[in-house]
Amino acid sequence: MIRLVLVILFIFTFKNIYSEGYIKAKDGIEWDSENQTYVANGSVMFKNLNLTATADKMVANYIEENNQEVFTKVEFFQNIEIKFKDEIFKGDYAIFTKNNNTIKLNGNVSIQSPTRLLTGDELIVDLDNNTRTLNSNHSSSIVEVLIENNANN
Amino acid sequence: MNSLKIKKILNILIFLILFIQLMIIYYNSKISPVNIQKKNITIENFSSILLSKYGVTYFGSEKLSKKDEINIFLEGLSYLENDFYKIYGKDIHLNVESEISYSDKPVKTINSMGTMKASGFKNDANIGKIYFLGDSIFNFND
Repeated sequence: MIRLVLVILFIFTFKNIYSEGYIKAKDGIEWDSENQTYVANGSVMFKNLNLTATADKMVANYIEENNQEVFTKVEFFQNIEIKFKDEIFKGDYAIFTKNNNTIKLNGNVSIQSPTRLLTGDELIVDLDNNTRTLNSNHSSSIVEVLIENNANN
Repeated sequence: MNSLKIKKILNILIFLILFIQLMIIYYNSKISPVNIQKKNITIENFSSILLSKYGVTYFGSEKLSKKDEINIFLEGLSYLENDFYKIYGKDIHLNVESEISYSDKPVKTINSMGTMKASGFKNDANIGKIYFLGDSIFNFND
């Protein structure tokens, strides 16, 4: 009995090791091998080692390296929510570039962490250097809100 | 004189009807071999190859129904395999001329990036696109 449980645990662990990421979509996924893209539609969820993103639509570009396909650029469209550690980034359009490990969001952008909420028009998240650059078309539209629970900290 | 005329007309009519009947029998018997050719050909545990721009694609199924010269129905557990992908599904329709295959049954596809599972698929090999239908999940090793 214990052996059986161990075998099942091993299978699950092994499976998780080799499933580093996933793309889920309610309305299907299109694989275009000529243009080297995956297009996902309807309640899309994208997860890789770093982040989890949800959106209405996703377009992921890939290249072939050593007979393996590797994502280079992932674009998200409408109702975007990207979770990275304890932060949530929102916007109308987002692009994740693997080469420089950055996320750029445009349109109704917000960045929410346990301590604050910032809104603007453009957000650049540099995951390697751990920087966030929030830009606005109008200076007055950058808003910083302290989240009440952690305001005292 | 009148009765003779009626008899003659009746005879001609009877001959005409007999002639039409003979024609019907003749043409019916001519059509029958064509009907036999159109009948479905069914083979069990079938596998074959298809040459396309992606090289050789192997395909097979528990049961194969050949609808006509270009349309094949892969009934039951079926597969399509080449160097780029392996599609495992059920009840797959395949057009060997246009290289379009599709199924509305659950499908699992493996490529060099990962494994795709969907509620169905349409593969247009001519343009290199596979549409995975409905609820789909792609597990990838990035």
